[in-house]
Amino acid sequence: MLEIKDLHVRIAEDETEIIRGLNLSVAAGEVAAIMGPNGSGKSTLSYVLSGKEDYEITQGSITYNGENLLDLDVSERAAAGLFLAFQYPVEIPGVPTMTFLKEAMNAQRKQRGEDELTTPEFIKRVRAAAAALKIDFNMLKRPVNVGFSGGEKKRAEILQMSLLEPKLCVLDETDSGLDIDALKVVSDGVNMLRDPSRAVIVITHYQRLLDHIVPDTVHVLSKGQIVKSGDKSLALELEEKGYADIISAAA
Amino acid sequence: MTMTAHTPRILTDGETVLMAAYDSAPPADHNEARTTAINALRELGLPTRRLEAFHYTDLRALLRGKYKIAERPSEEDARAIGTGFPRLVEDASVLHFRDGHYFDWGDELPKGILVDAQLPAPAGADDAVARINTAFASSGASITIQANAEVEKIVGIAHAHTGAEDTVAAMRTCIVAESGSSCRLIDRAVGKNDVFYLHSSLVDLDIKDGATVNYVLSIEEGDAAQRLAQFNVTMGETATLNLFILNAGGKLVRQEINFDVMGEGANLNISGVNLVGGEAHIDVTSRITHHVPDTNSQETFRNVTTGRGRGVFQGQINVRQAAQQTDARMACNTLLLSDDCDFSAKPELEIFADDVQCAHGATVTDIEESYMFYLMARGISETRARRMLIKAFVAEIVEELEDQPLIEALERRIDIWMEQHV
Repeated sequence: MLEIKDLHVRIAEDETEIIRGLNLSVAAGEVAAIMGPNGSGKSTLSYVLSGKEDYEITQGSITYNGENLLDLDVSERAAAGLFLAFQYPVEIPGVPTMTFLKEAMNAQRKQRGEDELTTPEFIKRVRAAAAALKIDFNMLKRPVNVGFSGGEKKRAEILQMSLLEPKLCVLDETDSGLDIDALKVVSDGVNMLRDPSRAVIVITHYQRLLDHIVPDTVHVLSKGQIVKSGDKSLALELEEKGYADIISAAA
Repeated sequence: MTMTAHTPRILTDGETVLMAAYDSAPPADHNEARTTAINALRELGLPTRRLEAFHYTDLRALLRGKYKIAERPSEEDARAIGTGFPRLVEDASVLHFRDGHYFDWGDELPKGILVDAQLPAPAGADDAVARINTAFASSGASITIQANAEVEKIVGIAHAHTGAEDTVAAMRTCIVAESGSSCRLIDRAVGKNDVFYLHSSLVDLDIKDGATVNYVLSIEEGDAAQRLAQFNVTMGETATLNLFILNAGGKLVRQEINFDVMGEGANLNISGVNLVGGEAHIDVTSRITHHVPDTNSQETFRNVTTGRGRGVFQGQINVRQAAQQTDARMACNTLLLSDDCDFSAKPELEIFADDVQCAHGATVTDIEESYMFYLMARGISETRARRMLIKAFVAEIVEELEDQPLIEALERRIDIWMEQHV
């Protein structure tokens, strides 16, 4: 589903190279965890996948379902089924959450050549998804993320993910700022979406999240490269020995 | 014997054609007021930019074209034009004006409202905008809201230009809200795109003691049209005015709004949305004068500027020496969306009392990039995301109207503007 080859990325503004020759392959149905210390390039990878403009791809390729992902702009990528769950979801005053959700869902339906959702059908889907994630429906009457706690924002991200039914989900440190109960709710939400046709990339610092969302593969990112790959046991090894040991052994 | 030699001032193109429009076919009631007005125009001309109030809007340069006074359109044309502009609210009693002429189509007026569909006596400030109105007005109406009448049903004052090229369509409305009354008015001006015309509108609104007026001014002139308009308000004791202005049309709009707060305890709320795109020049010039103690005014405008649009907001607040305990607040926030557009905001305070609270602020911003990224990361196209954020910026003001059907109708107008310009 996703094939990243020899990717080099720098920050457009100051030309600092962040990703330095990254290779990664994620298959449909796979849950891949990307772990790494601060500054290893984890968040940059998620932004590059989603198409944020502040980065410059200097070398390499990203192929998504046989298509060159880099040819698509942010909204086209999302409409093509790529979903980024933000580490820090923004609050957007004045844009009602329901209007936003409907607009987003219909944008993707339009892309797929489907009719727009009727209002009752839309409401029904949102209610069901909100209930599954223990989100108070009244919260969705507020503007996008406005006044949400850290945990509520993360749950709202997963709500969007479940409504948009993406093919490739990228979770950028979804566990940060979550208490144990919220972590469980969010993880359950992600697990519900596990599907043979869907791939998930879980970006995280800590093994803890991977107790709940059990990955098929684990990749260690350091200085902009994948330095080691393995199965879920690699995450446990990281937890035990720390990044420094694994990275120096891999180098 | 002394001889005084007058060198006649050379008229600008705009002045010449305006004079010609009057001289070639003056109105049938070619009375003294009209003659005085046209002679003053002839002598003093249009205002220059040296006049502070016209600093950003050079009428001498902008007012050009051919003009003749619009004739009364046929009943058929007058009715036909309305179908292109659906009403903002269904349940309203409407006074219909077409090309400056009044049409009585038998709309039943709500109880407590009296209308005399005669041209009211000349009014307004002693300036070019009022003079043009006095010289050219074809018709008008005097509206009285009777003392203590609480009129729920909306009364509409609807002007539509039917599409006669190169015409001046002028009208005048005089409204008196008698003491203790309350009413809701919608004053709307529409016109076809690509048709050059000048619409002159002058409204005099007198709000007596304890009366409340909710007034919506929706300016939706055609995209080639010019509008010179004045809205003059006098407020009595504990009188309240809630005024909302939407600017969503016109190539050249000069909308003057003047308020004299004459009665203690009066309460003035002005809010508005100015949408400035294409080649439009939209100027809202406001003057609020607090004459007496213990009154307050709030004025908030949100502006969206794009294309090669040029927007102007001048907001003057005068607090007279007697007007202690005045509370006056003004805010003007602008989104600038293109490299070729601009917006001039000029707040002005003139305070002669020493125990008052006055605040003003103006901001200019672009659309927040992180919001755009978030919306687009959910599959919403760049254009749709941009529109959602513009809408969010202006909707905050519209939604204060507390009348859901009206809010939705105005938001639809904003959507239509965005479809054309964003």
